[in-house]
Amino acid sequence: MKAPELQEAAERACARIAPTWPLDRFIAVNPFWSRTDRPFPRVAGELAALSGARLLMPRAWYAEEWREGRLRPEHVREAITESGSDVTEEQLTALFWIDDPRAPRRPLVVDVMDARARSELEVSWQEFIMERLTRFCGSYFDDGQAQIGAVKKGGLYASWREHALVDRGPALFMGLDEYRTTVASLPRTADEMMTLASAELGVPEGERESYLSALLLDINGWASWCAYLRWTARLAGRDDDHIRELLAIRVGWEWILLHSRGEELRADWRQALASWPAFDRAAQAARADDWILQRAVEIAWTSQVTAKLPAGFATARPDQPKVQAAFCIDVRSEVFMRAFETADAGVQTISCAGFFGMPIEYAPLAADGARPQLPGLLAAKYRVTDTGVPAALEATRRSRLDAAHAWKAFKSNSLSSFAFVDAMGLIFAGSLFGESFGWSSRDAEDHERAGLSQAEGRARTPRITSRVDGAPLTAEERSELAEAMLRAMSLTRRFAPLVLLVGHAAATRNNPHAAALSCGACCGQSGEVNARAGAALLNDADVRAGLAARGIEIPTTTRFVAALHNTTTDDVALFDESSPTATHARELADLRATLDRASAVARRERAPRLGLGALSDAELHAAVVERSKNWAEVRPEWGLAGNATLVVAPRERTRHLDLGGRAFLHDYRADEDEDFAVLELVMTAPMVVSHWINFQYYASTVDNGRYGSGNKVLHNVVGGHLGVFEGNGGDLRIGMSLQSLHDGEHWVHAPLRLSVFIEAPRSAIDRVLERHPKVRELVDNEWLHLFQIDVGERAISARTKGGWAPTGT
Amino acid sequence: MALHDLLPLAPLVLALLVPTTLSVAALLLSRSAPFVTASLVTFVSAGLAFLAVSLHALFSVLGYGARTPRIGSTVFDQIELDLVSSAMLLLVCTLAIVVVRYSRTYLAGEGGLERYVRSLLLTIASVTLLVISNHFAVLIAAWITTELFLHQLLTFYRTRRQAIIVAHKKFLLNRVADLCFFAALALVATEVGSLRIDEVNAFAQTRGALSPPLHLATVLLVLGVLLKTAQLPFHGWMLQVMEAPTPVSALLHAGVVNIGGFVMIRLSPLMAHAAIAQAMLVGVGLFTAIFGSLVMTTRVTIKVALAWSTIAQMGFMLVQCGLGVWHLALLHLLAHSFYKAHAFLTSGSVVQTWRGTSLVRPPRATPRFIAAAFALLCLAAAPFYAAFTFSSLHASPPLGPLALALLLSFVPMIARALAAGRRAFALTALSTAGAAAAYFAGHALFDVIAPWMSPSTGPLRSLPVEPIATSSFAWSVVVTGLVALFIAQTLVQTSPNGRLARLIQPHLLRGLYIDDWFTRMTFRLWPPRLERATVASPSARTRPKLYSRSH
Repeated sequence: MKAPELQEAAERACARIAPTWPLDRFIAVNPFWSRTDRPFPRVAGELAALSGARLLMPRAWYAEEWREGRLRPEHVREAITESGSDVTEEQLTALFWIDDPRAPRRPLVVDVMDARARSELEVSWQEFIMERLTRFCGSYFDDGQAQIGAVKKGGLYASWREHALVDRGPALFMGLDEYRTTVASLPRTADEMMTLASAELGVPEGERESYLSALLLDINGWASWCAYLRWTARLAGRDDDHIRELLAIRVGWEWILLHSRGEELRADWRQALASWPAFDRAAQAARADDWILQRAVEIAWTSQVTAKLPAGFATARPDQPKVQAAFCIDVRSEVFMRAFETADAGVQTISCAGFFGMPIEYAPLAADGARPQLPGLLAAKYRVTDTGVPAALEATRRSRLDAAHAWKAFKSNSLSSFAFVDAMGLIFAGSLFGESFGWSSRDAEDHERAGLSQAEGRARTPRITSRVDGAPLTAEERSELAEAMLRAMSLTRRFAPLVLLVGHAAATRNNPHAAALSCGACCGQSGEVNARAGAALLNDADVRAGLAARGIEIPTTTRFVAALHNTTTDDVALFDESSPTATHARELADLRATLDRASAVARRERAPRLGLGALSDAELHAAVVERSKNWAEVRPEWGLAGNATLVVAPRERTRHLDLGGRAFLHDYRADEDEDFAVLELVMTAPMVVSHWINFQYYASTVDNGRYGSGNKVLHNVVGGHLGVFEGNGGDLRIGMSLQSLHDGEHWVHAPLRLSVFIEAPRSAIDRVLERHPKVRELVDNEWLHLFQIDVGERAISARTKGGWAPTGT
Repeated sequence: MALHDLLPLAPLVLALLVPTTLSVAALLLSRSAPFVTASLVTFVSAGLAFLAVSLHALFSVLGYGARTPRIGSTVFDQIELDLVSSAMLLLVCTLAIVVVRYSRTYLAGEGGLERYVRSLLLTIASVTLLVISNHFAVLIAAWITTELFLHQLLTFYRTRRQAIIVAHKKFLLNRVADLCFFAALALVATEVGSLRIDEVNAFAQTRGALSPPLHLATVLLVLGVLLKTAQLPFHGWMLQVMEAPTPVSALLHAGVVNIGGFVMIRLSPLMAHAAIAQAMLVGVGLFTAIFGSLVMTTRVTIKVALAWSTIAQMGFMLVQCGLGVWHLALLHLLAHSFYKAHAFLTSGSVVQTWRGTSLVRPPRATPRFIAAAFALLCLAAAPFYAAFTFSSLHASPPLGPLALALLLSFVPMIARALAAGRRAFALTALSTAGAAAAYFAGHALFDVIAPWMSPSTGPLRSLPVEPIATSSFAWSVVVTGLVALFIAQTLVQTSPNGRLARLIQPHLLRGLYIDDWFTRMTFRLWPPRLERATVASPSARTRPKLYSRSH
């Protein structure tokens, strides 16, 4: 095969790996994001053949849904009809009694080696290669753990080759005595390695891409990390080639193994190659009927929603709300919004993406860099910085953080670690007790104020101060940004005297995956910065004048107030930064009381799932606060577990509905959306992000070994913030931990593909789909289910392969 | 029998109640809520221990000899509650409270918790018995049961292959160590005629030089200790126990792996005369401290870095034992326990810490700054050193070398601060002064209490013969080793792609292959029983193993 074609195959294989974000910005991502060009069940079969992945629940789970009465015969019948299959209901329910079929992956050279392994070699080649690669990659990508860094020369592949040249491990441990001489004969660049291997491994041309894919899936965690490096580089207009070099290393191992034994091994390998089509067929066929069960479980849920939605069709928009509050699209907001509305009928809630449409990055006081505060799909345009503090504080903070680095050198260098223990060790007796009994003063987000006292930290006021390139914003840009924010949340008239922008964050202690519980729309950070900078922008007199010129009149009596919803405790903090006037002071006091009542109601609703249902309100509050500070807590809250639906409609359609914290909500008013620009925005950004979250949870639930991070009790943080290992080593783990999905008895998350309900003309929705093939793929290839709400017709239609079809309501 | 006779027994009875209570509770554990029982019993046993220790201290001050009761002497003579035992007992009871409390929340929802709690309580019970034991055989037996129950905790996840392999390696090493101990016991019994530790110690002290069989006994003892204290090359299992839940790691690192150091301290009057055994401690301990701490700095995962740290710190502690500065070894043991338990239990916080400190890039300590830091520290230390040298405090032999090691320890910190600027330097100078003060305060405290560490065997610091402690050769070896460690680390850090770095980093990264080799030998000689089927098939990973109720 000619080199360019090979390179293309490699490039396509690399492109099929979705990124994983580091732990400090651990946002959800669909791990199959670059495979949506084909139907999901088909992709599941392909992945089963390539990696052994299992993308459906075990049959026992469907059986339980059936026994619990959530899955009923009519759902199964509907799913059968939809599938067009000639299977019967009885054949499907019979599956409950039949063991899950196993779907082993197509054999790679490493599997061929393992199959021939001598019995006394108890460590398999697969494990050994993983151990070698993960140790090398960990050292190469380390960012803050090791004091003695890796020797890096000429990129990932070249460095690996250097390391491998002196690695005696394979000889010592696996009896591969000629390993180092074999490595010495390997080419010096990744591209040459690929060319050499493809010439000698004899993989047929048509299978080349899937073979390389399978190799990357074999080290999916590190491949996803490299994909992240590439993703962020490309967002910033650069490129990154680590993933190809990683692939070359893995190919290199295949080549080394193939050359380590004689002709027998090659014969085995040729036989294995010939068996691949059989694996593919088996994997596709193995669970064809199970997909109908999966679909039936999804129908069971959507039929509930479609049955209940119409009751809200006639509800009118609130006329004179006392307070408008914009929440994040996050499913946890749904619970709080309902509670808030119950607490005071004058409250109008709005939901939108929790970064409030602000494409910003945040450069904390004295920081060397800035971090994104927007969805992972987008690149930042503006920069938020800390204002309102004395100028000298910047230098002070910097010197404190420098001193902290210096202290770390004392704590973790080799010689000084002995003196450190002698000098400081006994003091930790106090810390042990302090943490055990909750006397610790550390708060969950205290990295935000590293190097600052509490008062200094509070004094900061985050404001948009420049573009990302440091140039100042024009007045025009500020008004433009404000307009985009308001239009995205469909809030362009009928402003209440108080408008809350409610960001959210979770409060957890000692939790490597804390960012997974924070605001995903703010790239795994607290939404506080966006809410505060946004409220300040919208309170600005010049900006309001600019908005008026753009057709959005905000009354002078209207004030925007930033707030932060703590999703772990359901407490809400208010940040009111403008000088209070008498009227607003009274309204704010009122609001404070309403929020406190709402918090109590929301906590009450979440209590049973936390096992705290029996407590009184005060006890419950104390218990969730304790949970948020407990260093041993592995289930501080349930995050987005349970998510299943996105409703894009005015809030009055869903206000009567208890969606049980399973729905993303996004306010949208088609009648105010000229040329459907907002619809396009919602379907290409919030809908995609919801789908990412939904699939992160889906994949982590159905195959936690590959797409989840396993047991939290064993988590071992890699490289300061890259990710975790489960236990001592193995692949870098991506996705959610078991504790985020399972309560020890049952799965708390039911893996359902997202069902999206949009109130907009069908033609408008179709136009967006036409313009955005990637979004259309999601719908056409069954990655999500799309419904249209038609209030005029009082009907809900489903988008099927054959076009729009009315649902049973 | 008058109250006068009974009263001195009270602390001993209370002390003995600690392991008893823990074991009884372990056996009577409530099936439905094992942690409720466990929480309660850890508090009760900590209370008992505290009462025992304070009463014992009070009686010592009042002059009630605990060693003179006429009744029940066969039992109570086997119990020791001197300063070393008291400190260890309180340490273990504290850890028990923390670890049980942590596990209760941390492991919620796991299967097999009853088994977990039972093994946890029995492990702790064994350690408490071990530390108050005045009988050699009881001590060894308690050590063995400690490891056996700990084995259950390390293999809590029975489907995790790595966990099984590691526990298997540890199991084999422990059995070899046990053989050493049995042989040592036999030798001691025949030579001394008693296995009571105070009598053995007294025997060694009155005789001075040891007979060849006793020398052999001490060598065997040290061999066993080295095996059980994760010293190179027997350290591999220590690295891989991340396959067990975090609180198990905390308990292992803070309360079990240091038993070797405790035993050495407990036997210090005997060991003080055992030049060969002491030399072994210094040699192996120093080697382990140097390479362990170097490898630690190449590790990229928090828990594995902590494990290498423990290995190195245990080496350092054994070096202190080998040099005869027993009171400093005890300080190191206690300080390390608290530090390491805390470090493991908060290991999930590294990301948060990273998010805070990574706001600014670490200042880069170039050779220029390192030299300046060294010079500054010498200047700062000179007046103190002079004052100490010319005062009566000079009596402590380790002062000079320790001061040098401490001084070098501060160099990287000061150098970074110098690189950062004036204000960071001022802050760091303050924390350096604080750390130095804490360091010397700790040493001074343990210097003061050293005479009371083991009243039954006399003050430890003024032992009549201290073959190694007085040997300037041993001290100079240790100091040279530590200085070499400093130089190597500095060279590799200042030129990360330099020749030395290229030469040693890849090997350090692979732990010098010691464990690879050791594991291979294990598989050859005595392979663990593993189900091959669960290994090779990739789908084995996907089983919902952790939540299955079957184990």
